Amino acid sequence: MSSKVLSTSANISSADSVENVILSARNISKSFPGPVIALDRVSLDLYAGEILALLGENGSGKSTFVKILYGIYTPDHGEILMKTGRVLERVTINSPADAMSKGILMVSQVPQLISKLTVAENMALTLTSLRIHGVKGLTSIKKILKIIGEESEKIGIKIDPNEKVYNLTYTQKQLVEILRAMFVNAKILLLDEALTYLPLLERRKLYQALLKLKGQGGSIVIITHKISEAMEISNRIAVLRAGKIVGVVNTWETTIDQVRVMMFGEERSKQISYVKVQTINPRGEPRIIIRNLHVEDDYGREIVRGVNLTIHAGEVVGIAGISGNGQRELLESIVGLRKIKSGDIYVDNVNVKRSGVRNIRELGVSFIPDRLLEHGISPEESIVENIAACTVRNGINIPWGLIEEISRELINSYQIIAPSTKTPVKYLSGGNILKTIVAREIENAKKALIACNPTRTLDEASAIYVRRRIREKAVNENLAVLIASEDLDEVLMVSDIIYIMNTGRLYGPLTPETPREDIEKLMVM
Amino acid sequence: MRFIVLRRKTIPRYHTWISTAISLILGILVYLFITILVGRSPLEVLVNIARSFISPSIVKDFFVLIAMGCALLISFKAALWNIGGEGQFYIATIPGILLTLFIFNPRYNPAPAPLVILLVALTGTIMGAFWAFIAALFRAYLKIDEVPVTLILNYVAYYILNYLIFGPFKGRYVYGYLRTDEIPEIYRLNVRVHLPMRGDPLQVALQNLTVQLAYYIALLILAVLIYVFTWWFFKHCRIGLYTKIHGSNPGYLQAVGVSVNHVILLTMTISGALIGLTGSIYLLSELGRIPYEIERQTAGYGYLAILVSWLSLLDLKMIPFSAYIVSALRNAGIALQVAGLGGVEQSLLLIGAILLTYSITRFLVEYEVRFEW
Repeated sequence: MSSKVLSTSANISSADSVENVILSARNISKSFPGPVIALDRVSLDLYAGEILALLGENGSGKSTFVKILYGIYTPDHGEILMKTGRVLERVTINSPADAMSKGILMVSQVPQLISKLTVAENMALTLTSLRIHGVKGLTSIKKILKIIGEESEKIGIKIDPNEKVYNLTYTQKQLVEILRAMFVNAKILLLDEALTYLPLLERRKLYQALLKLKGQGGSIVIITHKISEAMEISNRIAVLRAGKIVGVVNTWETTIDQVRVMMFGEERSKQISYVKVQTINPRGEPRIIIRNLHVEDDYGREIVRGVNLTIHAGEVVGIAGISGNGQRELLESIVGLRKIKSGDIYVDNVNVKRSGVRNIRELGVSFIPDRLLEHGISPEESIVENIAACTVRNGINIPWGLIEEISRELINSYQIIAPSTKTPVKYLSGGNILKTIVAREIENAKKALIACNPTRTLDEASAIYVRRRIREKAVNENLAVLIASEDLDEVLMVSDIIYIMNTGRLYGPLTPETPREDIEKLMVM
Repeated sequence: MRFIVLRRKTIPRYHTWISTAISLILGILVYLFITILVGRSPLEVLVNIARSFISPSIVKDFFVLIAMGCALLISFKAALWNIGGEGQFYIATIPGILLTLFIFNPRYNPAPAPLVILLVALTGTIMGAFWAFIAALFRAYLKIDEVPVTLILNYVAYYILNYLIFGPFKGRYVYGYLRTDEIPEIYRLNVRVHLPMRGDPLQVALQNLTVQLAYYIALLILAVLIYVFTWWFFKHCRIGLYTKIHGSNPGYLQAVGVSVNHVILLTMTISGALIGLTGSIYLLSELGRIPYEIERQTAGYGYLAILVSWLSLLDLKMIPFSAYIVSALRNAGIALQVAGLGGVEQSLLLIGAILLTYSITRFLVEYEVRFEW
């Protein structure tokens, strides 16, 4: 590794002058019961007017670090200093509200907006709690609308403040989040995989807003699993591994391969390969047939509009699209988790329109849900109990010996970082929770796998393993696979046939060789 | 200055037992402090409380509360708040009265006692299960919260019993009292042991304990059986796992193809069945007859068991320990009343003080509180 490591601790920062430091985290440690050491004496400086990319494999402590800066977690040890005037002063951040009042704002992958309220009402909640822009508890919504109009014009982001949040696209919701950060005059913006899976065009629109914030002297921390994204937008890259900072480099002085080695080590980074497992089998019989499917979302609006789709045994069908275009609802309806308004779904020639989840699963269909915490796991229970609930369908007693063995195999093969099979799932990192779900569902699939964003929070090495495993299952075990993913790279890498989902309709089929720009155009048209 | 609250990474091995013991001592100290404030002799009060903790007379309450604490634990683990233990307990006595006093009354229709006892237990179990099942139906299919439904069903059960005692179940050999007849001796489950009750105080206490254990042997066996069942249910049974998951994330059950409604029905029914079984055995072991205005004469096991279950923090290992504390405190309250040291508020105050210190120590076991200047 030849990249120049600038610093691993705040004390020896040298690239920028200490004058320019806006926030300094020093010797931050955090553990969770298990015990799981999430952060081990992490020191990191943020500079005014920079974009810092924070990278690391799953469970490396990235999210924990930004959650500490945002007041969601309290560190076990260490301190945070913030620039006040010309000096750095020790601060305590007790809650997200506290963080916001100090000018720190976080935008995560899932927009933290109240869907039933309008954009203005959501903004009003923040503005009134912080009492900024002259907004107080009794300020009329009319006045708030005026303020939002004026301020967003200044910032250059146009959003109808009267629009209900559930009517916004995913990109618009993230824009509202960034707008909110600008409104509260955020000095530090923390982006936890917030923009990673947007199409390039949409992402670049948001980059403009970020550059504006940076230009005003703000500091932005981007967490991403995509090294390419970090290379494109950041000034510096910091890499965490097993809760420790392993290096901080200037982006212009490093390469993707060097960063990869910092993240995974020499050995694992060599294993990262984007070579696609080719389909050897001829296309099998139709396994899943969907005819003229109409489905409603949680608010009773038609979100899937007349979808027709056939998935054959042994093939992987990928659905690309920006989040919120009906992919989740389509997949939930296929596995029986969501009521169908009209249309038919056949699995192995059995109409499963009203079969319910149990019968569909018994036909050999596995499901990786989009809403992981709602449908993917039971947080209080251990890994082995979660696996048992999904795999043991009959009998009074649970064969714990067998389930324990299966769990250990899954932990080993998918490299799930957990103290033991008995660890409650709630103590695992987000990526390791997803790995637990993905491992269980992929290895449990007999006839079909329906997956929504199966690698969304996984690091590069884990994501590639999962995609490879999905293709191997399809090719070797004649599995029919349907994947909906916000990550276009994933769809291109894993699919035999590609569809685009936009405003509830499917466009396609396309081949994986279709130019990326053409696909992205269909995603945002 | 600020407080920092952190979840502990490792919890001391015997934390549960130590924290409970500490909270017990602290709670009693708080209680004594209050009694001093109102001008009572703390020594006299303390002696009465201490006696209750080592009194053999708590064995009956101890066994019943273990059984019912376990039964409620099953529903509480599923986040189904069955507070209808009282109703399920008493409604289960109806078939027992019917079978022993009417259908198989030895005066005119004798039947083998083991068969009748078995029938009483079986029908009591079904009755308790049915009573909880009603609340489960409301919860599962009408989405009506089980707390008010189970609570209301307690009163429905009381009034059904009152009606029966006032009418068809009214005793013929009750000397004008409003109650049922006494259940015939052949159907009773007590073993009477006569010991001399002589020797030093320890010997007398041991003899007394032996007498009590023999007398309530059926309740002892029941408590052990229900405890073992509950352990098996959560440790090995598939439904037990679903029950736990329902308490954590019902959406996951739905996604793996398990009917959430069936889990609600099963869990509540099993909980009610165990309470019903306890009620029917208690009828043959202790009650012997049902008096009119049952709500005024109940020992309140259905409510005390809620306390037992909560004190255990839904940890099965802790159920016997919390059942012991609650039964000792209940008896302490009675002893204080008998000794003229206060009314029923004495036991409530004592239980309240211990619950307060228990909540604080439990919190401190799981979390570390730091002060920073």
